[in-house]
Amino acid sequence: MKCARCLLHLRRVGPVGQSARPAAPSASYSQSSVVPNVHNQVLRRFHGSPACAKNRPLPAEFVNEDSKKTDKSLISHGDLFEQVAKEAKSKATFNKVVEVFIKRDVRRRGHVEFIYAALRKMPEFGVERDVAVYNKLLDVFPKEVFVPRNFIQRMFNHYPRQQECGVQVLEQMENYGVLPNIETKVLLVQIFGEKSHPIRKYQRILYWFPKFKHINPFPFPQQLPEDPVDLARISLTRIANDLDAKVTVYQLPCTDITENGEEVTLPHIVGIQSPSQMELLAKHNSTRPLFVEGPFHLWLRKTCVYYYILRAEPIPPHEKVEEPYDPERCFYYPLQLDLDLDLDLGDDESFDVEDLDEGPVYAMCMTSQGDQTTLNQWISGLQQNNSILGQIPILFRLEAGPRELQAEADTESGHHHRPDPATQQDQSHPEEEPDVRVEEEQRKSHGMKQ
Amino acid sequence: MFLPKITRLPSVRLLSCAHHHQLLLPSSIPLTVSRRALIQGEYRRPGQPKEDKPPWKINFDFSKGLEGIKKHFTLLKQEFSDRWVGPEGKPLLEHMLEQNRVIWEFRGPESLEQWTLSSDQEIGGQSEVYLKLSKNNNTCFLYGTLNSTPPRDGETRYSGYCTMRSKQPLASFDRKKHHDWSSFNTLHLRVRGDGRPWMINIATETYFSHQKDDLYNYFLYTRGGPYWQDVKIPFSKFFVSHRGRIQDNQYVLWLDKINTIGFTLGDKVDGPFQLEIDFIGVCKDYAHTEEFAYELYKRNPEV
Repeated sequence: MKCARCLLHLRRVGPVGQSARPAAPSASYSQSSVVPNVHNQVLRRFHGSPACAKNRPLPAEFVNEDSKKTDKSLISHGDLFEQVAKEAKSKATFNKVVEVFIKRDVRRRGHVEFIYAALRKMPEFGVERDVAVYNKLLDVFPKEVFVPRNFIQRMFNHYPRQQECGVQVLEQMENYGVLPNIETKVLLVQIFGEKSHPIRKYQRILYWFPKFKHINPFPFPQQLPEDPVDLARISLTRIANDLDAKVTVYQLPCTDITENGEEVTLPHIVGIQSPSQMELLAKHNSTRPLFVEGPFHLWLRKTCVYYYILRAEPIPPHEKVEEPYDPERCFYYPLQLDLDLDLDLGDDESFDVEDLDEGPVYAMCMTSQGDQTTLNQWISGLQQNNSILGQIPILFRLEAGPRELQAEADTESGHHHRPDPATQQDQSHPEEEPDVRVEEEQRKSHGMKQ
Repeated sequence: MFLPKITRLPSVRLLSCAHHHQLLLPSSIPLTVSRRALIQGEYRRPGQPKEDKPPWKINFDFSKGLEGIKKHFTLLKQEFSDRWVGPEGKPLLEHMLEQNRVIWEFRGPESLEQWTLSSDQEIGGQSEVYLKLSKNNNTCFLYGTLNSTPPRDGETRYSGYCTMRSKQPLASFDRKKHHDWSSFNTLHLRVRGDGRPWMINIATETYFSHQKDDLYNYFLYTRGGPYWQDVKIPFSKFFVSHRGRIQDNQYVLWLDKINTIGFTLGDKVDGPFQLEIDFIGVCKDYAHTEEFAYELYKRNPEV
């Protein structure tokens, strides 16, 4: 493994750590012989005097006498990551690579390219949302070298390439929604000074991120649960728009082995219905059919889940019956006020838009397999609480893709329309078998105690 | 001969886009003006040949000219007669006291003409966006697919956005008209999304040319689900951004000259999306007394 060899090589070679793998074929300078280096060994070369040895570059052959052959080919920093990637991509290996780079050279030659390569490789290693890893990456910059020391340097965008690199690190943090911490600030101040572009960007992140962190009115946890039933629970409570709605799990996912020895996976069925929906369903006219529509998609950050709804067509206006409010339903306040108030223009709070009537939605469910048998099971489960479902014909409109709710009963040719013979089944009847044509599927009422 | 102006509508990206090109949308009115007439033409993707039509090449079309004359003179006549009724064509009392005004409602195919769509296909991406009227002709349905693979042109790093933007309101002879919402303070929308977070952009009329890409943004979080969602966003919450980057010097949105409103989706998640909008209106919420939600003092002081 080349990485391990690098480490061995460093230990073997000792202080003159000019390994043969720069990003760009830059000349490998040796370190000054007088300056104590990482391994605290002071080397003296007979060619350089102690007085002016600091900046004189020595030819390369004197430097790495016992090193391996200098590799003159162009190697990118990404290769370092790829070699590590062969074993396991994790935070530990990522940190190891960064440490190898840090320890290799005090002057950190090629650190800008290394940091850009590391930023590109972060998603592969899965560390893009980790502040500690970003701090470690910022640690690669040599400290105090890029801090401007007088007003001219401050005016003229001191070390623009490194500042841009620092800004790009912070920009990737912003992209992934990672909030930097105090260690980041300390590092940035040490590296770039107080009024540099990276510090300004850090200040902007720290100003705007907290302002917008909690503005989502429908929050859900960052780590969504793996269990599909829990995920269904979260999403159904989100779309139900009613705090009284109750989630019922009609079937848990399990694998059954049938008599033939085949494995049958039963999907999970989770449904939700609120008391007001139950009331509305109880008042539904039995002659009008109900529709099971779906699957509609719902996005929760990065996961897409599908839900099905049970709804009815809107009642045409000439058939609408205004039921008077029962005054005994609520004793705390009157449900209906017959006041003859004179509303001025300035008091009218409603918009001058006609209200859309799309028909009531009676229940929603989520399941992994959206075929008719599963949905039948859901309906039968619903029937336990809403006995009227036994007498109402149910039609299935199942079609994938972006769809809107249809308010009209006349469907176009694109829809799957499987009409259902009006089932007069109650729970007392076990399975009834009307003539099943190829396109028609009937809704079997499963025996409740199965 | 009146040459109708091309309305330039730069599309919008979120903070994540580091691509600083100015994007211009072609207007969907069939135009016969040459491109050379503009000082800055439309965005030309690197590698595409320059389209150079000479300025004397105008397509003369008699019937279109007649239609244009009829349309513009009708508008002009209406403007004159509106002044007799009251400001903006409404009686004075109504103008002063109105609480709610519906600006856009999607009740027929002609309402879709007021909107322009854009996606990152202009810079070479692969997202698609479509707009149609839903069943019953009652709401608009914006749908499509988002694809965040960046185009391989060597300079774009992020991609994947779709927008729907209203067209600039035009008076007679294609003069710019602005929305005046100074008596309102809240934006009220009725939408039905699919759980994705959108961003609302409002573009105001600016004076200096470098303010051209200034937008006021705010987030629109959709719940998803079969129920309609009423969203009320006060105008004091909108923050200033320029070319997608939020600015340090914030100021409150001035409501007297608003050009366009737009909706953007760019949440870096690949997949289909949909958004239905029932209506967009503005209302005056007396309970909302906040003038501006963000600090106005200088936040990057010279230390």
